[in-house]
Amino acid sequence: MEILRQFAAPETVNANGDLFSALGINWMMLIFQIVAFLLLVALLGKFVYPWLIKSVDERQDKINAASKAASEAQASAADAETRVEKLLKKARVEAADIVATAKIESASALAASEEKAKKRSEQIVADAQDEIQKEVIAAKIALHNETIELVALATEKVVGKVVNTKIDETLISDALKAVK
Amino acid sequence: MAIRLSRRKITSYIAGELAAGKETTLLINQLAAFLIDSRRTKELELVVRDIEYELKNQGIVLARVTSAFDLATATQTAITHLIKEHTNAQTIELRQFIDPTVLGGVKIDLPGLQMDTTIGHRLTTLRTNLKK
Repeated sequence: MEILRQFAAPETVNANGDLFSALGINWMMLIFQIVAFLLLVALLGKFVYPWLIKSVDERQDKINAASKAASEAQASAADAETRVEKLLKKARVEAADIVATAKIESASALAASEEKAKKRSEQIVADAQDEIQKEVIAAKIALHNETIELVALATEKVVGKVVNTKIDETLISDALKAVK
Repeated sequence: MAIRLSRRKITSYIAGELAAGKETTLLINQLAAFLIDSRRTKELELVVRDIEYELKNQGIVLARVTSAFDLATATQTAITHLIKEHTNAQTIELRQFIDPTVLGGVKIDLPGLQMDTTIGHRLTTLRTNLKK
């Protein structure tokens, strides 16, 4: 309230000379402060702000670059993921082909080995049959020879007992006649 | 130094002497002494065989007759006639051997000739021919 009265009282205005004085503002100081402020602004504008702006710009550029790099990395990652997915798909297809080929090859190898084993077994059977046939022939020959030997031995025994001097004389006589 | 006589000369001499009627025992002793002295006893069998050949050439045949039983005189005569027919020899000397393993029949061995009609020989031939 006191302050309002001072503003309202004409004497107060007149006593301090002007309104600025009444408000406690010193012109000289104000001008000085304005000049100092402007000087400060000029100095700041000349030396600090460009550096600060530059730093901010650089920081902004870095942020932008980082953002761009992050975007590129993200895109690259996505691309890589896509490529990996493609590679995986391709690898799966190739693996499936390889498995299918291996199955076919194993089946053909199995069939070939079965065929080989079959031929081998047939060969073994044929060889065994040949061997048996040879052994049978050899046994027949041996039996034949043994039979002849036995017949000869039996003949010797029988003849040895049957032949006497008289029969021997007859044999010799017939033989001599045959020679003549 | 003694000259090595050929077997032909030796056998010719012995055969000639035998044919001339020299004593057989004496000739055999001389031959044996000669073979022993000249260390040619291994040639004995060859010498004997050659003497038989020489005698055959001079008309004397030594025949070995092998049979299972003793041969009758008629059979011996028949054999002698057979040998004479085949060799044209004037003298036949049979030497008979008994061998039961021949079973039957007769085997006549002459110098360079053999006639085997024994049952044993026939059985051997049978074995040889029929065996595979």
